[in-house]
Amino acid sequence: MKRTIYSLFVLSLFGLSSCTDKCKETRTYRRYTNISLTGTQVRQGVKLESARALEKPGKIYTKDGYLFINELKEGIHIIDNRDAGNPKTIAFLHIPGNGDMAIRDNILYADSYMDLVAFDLTNLANIREVNRVQNVFLNGQFEGGWWSFNQNNVTLSDQRVDYVTETMETNCEDGLATQSWRNCPNCVTFDASFASSSSSVLPTTSTGSNGTGGSMARFTLYNDYLYTVGQSDMQLFNISSPASPRIGEKISLGGGIETIFPYKDKLFVGSSSGMFIYDNANPAKPVRLSVFNHARVCDPVVVNGDIAYVTLRSGTTCQGFTNQLDVVDIKDLLNPRLLKSYPMQNPHGLGVDFPNLFICEGAGGLKSLDATNAMGITQLAHITGINAYDVIPIGQSVPGGAKTVLMIGKDGLYQFDYSNPQQLRQLSKIPVNRPY
Amino acid sequence: MKKIIFVGLLGLTASVGRAQAPAFKRAFTNMTEVGGLFGRVDYSTQFSETVENRLSLTAQTFNGVQLRPRLAVGGTVGIDWYAAALLMPLCAGIRYDLARDTQKNVRVFTSLDAGYGVAWLHQSVSGYKTTGGWVLSPGVGLRIGRPGVANFTLSMSYKRQEAHVEKPVDGFYTLARSEDRVYNRLAIRLGIAF
Repeated sequence: MKRTIYSLFVLSLFGLSSCTDKCKETRTYRRYTNISLTGTQVRQGVKLESARALEKPGKIYTKDGYLFINELKEGIHIIDNRDAGNPKTIAFLHIPGNGDMAIRDNILYADSYMDLVAFDLTNLANIREVNRVQNVFLNGQFEGGWWSFNQNNVTLSDQRVDYVTETMETNCEDGLATQSWRNCPNCVTFDASFASSSSSVLPTTSTGSNGTGGSMARFTLYNDYLYTVGQSDMQLFNISSPASPRIGEKISLGGGIETIFPYKDKLFVGSSSGMFIYDNANPAKPVRLSVFNHARVCDPVVVNGDIAYVTLRSGTTCQGFTNQLDVVDIKDLLNPRLLKSYPMQNPHGLGVDFPNLFICEGAGGLKSLDATNAMGITQLAHITGINAYDVIPIGQSVPGGAKTVLMIGKDGLYQFDYSNPQQLRQLSKIPVNRPY
Repeated sequence: MKKIIFVGLLGLTASVGRAQAPAFKRAFTNMTEVGGLFGRVDYSTQFSETVENRLSLTAQTFNGVQLRPRLAVGGTVGIDWYAAALLMPLCAGIRYDLARDTQKNVRVFTSLDAGYGVAWLHQSVSGYKTTGGWVLSPGVGLRIGRPGVANFTLSMSYKRQEAHVEKPVDGFYTLARSEDRVYNRLAIRLGIAF
């Protein structure tokens, strides 16, 4: 008996030596490596290639039943989406350093690092470069990696992005105290990871036939002008002759510029510190009116009429400690008024095709809401089991066709028919093979 | 013949004797204890290694059935206040007395609890999501007091508790962050049992 007790006691002492907490954090992050390219390498890199899989989808643009999906820094996937139930990838237009696009009539405008390139889309099997405005963008960034163009030696400095997963030991006490994020340092690049962080069927006023982009786009069209925003400037291009864009006014905006979208005869320019409002009564020379402080760029915003829908989400670097949908009256643009807040799980992107409102809840799936009454928004449907980041209601691609909403998830681009918003019907899924 | 009768009487006497001993009855049993979870943490960064002591409060209650004079089985519910996780182990447990003489006033017992620690009571910092994990705890202890009445207990056990934490990311530079924790502690507890 005593022997047993002694044995147990000794065993316990051995146990003491193993009484050490073991905690390991696994982290996946982006790693940057400096590279250099010549201007010639960039300009000769444009070519039409066979279709390929989506890996890092960026901005999405739609026109006449076709989807144009940016592959970050690589080019544009062209997808025939006239039958949303069976989208067909047609080709991949390789454009080095491409991040944004806009389409007027049959002309596609795309950035290629420092240049603006115009392509003729008349024959999608034979897309041709028709014009190029050189050296208009001198710096920018993709996935947080900065590039800059030196006009003197015609050399481009860029940063290659690799995805790294590593494991490290911790003190087992992370998450003990309140995290404090004082500002929004990474917001400026937020949209680049998943194209448009928020999108809507945007009103466009123009003389030609435009496509539809997201509200996080850096390119937008209005009347005879293409508006592009860089990190600190707004560069206008006169496209009265679409195939021959001419460089126009350049307006200094300040730092941290992310997005531009037209609203009535105003231009909203999103920066990491707020939203600038420009009066666009004279489209050749927008004039700054004011700063709209309510919405931070980290918070996806969509607008319909005089109502803005804003989602606030916790767990980001943007101070968000609540998960909710805010409905804001913006009749007076200078004095927005919060009408009502609705609790949400973990809202990411959202999109509106009034009265249908769609909200991505991250791992919580996709929600379809009825926004007819701003004070009484009701949930109509909730799709779970998918990781939803962003949503773009593109309506009817072709007359009489299904009303389609495009949802960007972790593993693919989903399309749902929301003709009956109470019962979203999955039409198709375009797989995305993300590198992480 | 006499011998056969004698043996038969002896056997009868013996059986009568057995019938007169108090028969064991299954009964509800409880052991409720509080104490500390003692341990260390050893972690390294690229530039340094740090070793720190850790002490957490623990409380648990075992409720079960005394199946045999020395064996009780049941369930153990507890609560462990780790620095960054408040976990509630839900375990199946056994208590086994090593002492053959159950009438002694100090008796050694062993224990084994195994189950899953849940984080239902844990309030995470915004952006963090803590979930529990498997728990295993073998131990040894002393019951001090007269048999058949409430006793004090003093126990020492090893406790391995797993947990998982999903952490916030900026969604850009950092794409995914999670932590797997294994708490390895020595639990020293005082309590009562009946």
